[in-house]
Amino acid sequence: MQELTQQILSGLATGGIFASLALALVLIYNAMGLVNFAQGEMAMFSTFIAFTLIDRGMSYWIAFPLTLVIAFVAGVVVQRVVIRPVERAPVLTLVIVTLGLATLVNGLAGFIYGYVPRSFPSPFSVQTVKILGAYASYQDLGVIAVSGVVLLAIYVLLQRTTIGLTMRAAAHHPEASRLLGVRVSWMLALGWGLAAAVGAVSGIMVAPILSLEPNMMQTIIIYAFAAAVLGGIESPVGAVVGGLVVGVTVNLAGAYLPFVGGDLQLAVALAIIVGVLILKPNGLFGRAAVRRV
Amino acid sequence: MAALLELEDVHAGYGQTSVLHGVSLSISDGQVVSLLGANGAGKTTTLRAITGGVHWTGDIRFAGRSLRRMHTEDLVRRGIAHVPEGRGILTELTVDENLKLGCYLRRDRAAVRADYQRVFEYFPVLRDRRRLSASTLSGGEQQMLAIARALLMRPKLMLLDEPSLGLAPLVVRAIFEIIRTINQTDRVAVLLVEQNARIALEMSSHAYVLEVGHVAINGTSSELQGNESVRRSYLGY
Repeated sequence: MQELTQQILSGLATGGIFASLALALVLIYNAMGLVNFAQGEMAMFSTFIAFTLIDRGMSYWIAFPLTLVIAFVAGVVVQRVVIRPVERAPVLTLVIVTLGLATLVNGLAGFIYGYVPRSFPSPFSVQTVKILGAYASYQDLGVIAVSGVVLLAIYVLLQRTTIGLTMRAAAHHPEASRLLGVRVSWMLALGWGLAAAVGAVSGIMVAPILSLEPNMMQTIIIYAFAAAVLGGIESPVGAVVGGLVVGVTVNLAGAYLPFVGGDLQLAVALAIIVGVLILKPNGLFGRAAVRRV
Repeated sequence: MAALLELEDVHAGYGQTSVLHGVSLSISDGQVVSLLGANGAGKTTTLRAITGGVHWTGDIRFAGRSLRRMHTEDLVRRGIAHVPEGRGILTELTVDENLKLGCYLRRDRAAVRADYQRVFEYFPVLRDRRRLSASTLSGGEQQMLAIARALLMRPKLMLLDEPSLGLAPLVVRAIFEIIRTINQTDRVAVLLVEQNARIALEMSSHAYVLEVGHVAINGTSSELQGNESVRRSYLGY
């Protein structure tokens, strides 16, 4: 029982990381009807920026929010410069553009920072504390807390503020929103900025666990896809729930299914993707796609 | 009297297909004008040209200013509320959020509150459904929401695209009554696109009949109502 609780807690911590990146995917999906395949790479690059700031002697808790601001601005710029010119292009064009962007950002990180893995500092100690009869590390609890605060902030922004309302309106109903005076194009750019910032949180949270190098996010993005698909790809709440479920499931499978172990955890994520697409294609929180003919 | 909205020899279309071949019309402050005609005559395209939803040539002036090259968002902010074909309801959002989007640019908070009161007086059903998703509303309720939202924008001009479409006659009556009230209370000019010529002509002071992309007839509404041959060949009643 104690071990189970421990495994669930640590699953929630990784789940929070997946949830952040999955939320970033969902924000973009709502804005352009497509996931951004470069989301993970953008998160990785943001993490390098945080690394540079901390390396130059900046305190972690200043570097962290500063990186989010930089990531936000970079996200807006990427949308304006790279995505906007092909906004109305067919989906396949957009797929290629975001894949190209992923390759570009990855290569750029390798060119600037090299491929040697670096250890990334964590503000949380690895010591454990006893809760619910189990031992949880401060590291895991800290990741859960940070992800929770960030996800809550995004929720409040989207659901409780006027700018969030216009962002949702622009993403779901661009034509109707324009007629109400909403500057749709800028709202979509803000969506990209927001997604880049949330993605950066996942990168910064996972870096101390995996160590930082240009390919760091390439497995995380698969888990995030699984989370987003499980949640129903269009639903921000679904992405968060999906992230937590995937995190816990993968962790439990690794611990209790001998054939999964540490090696086949990614296969569990892929199984979740395939399973959801077969059994419940709209995910847990998605709605059935209705098309009027 | 200077016109509030003026279209001068407007040509417009979608890609290679041209739909409007030189439409001219004008509306003055506080006037209700009907735009009638058969399916495909270009009524909806005329409205879309005004708010920049379709590429056009010629000239469109609103409150003395040309709308050429102006973005939809900007000309809407100058005081045009367009309730488009299909009502433009944001079905992913709640009724309240739809209303909020009608007035989120306004800074006159007290007046906004008063307008909310009025909206709920006109359409009590919207108050009851405030927190529900707009997708749960019936067709008539969605039309009410669209008009309520347009009212909250406090426009100088409302463009209404077939407010009667698909609604029961009693609901149509009620909605047109309220459009008339809004017009008279706020001196909002209305350009009304309708298939239902009878009810449109009752409301408007002036009417234009479109036929394959140009104005075939225009005159005061009573002239058009009175003219037997016009009624028979163009208005179908």
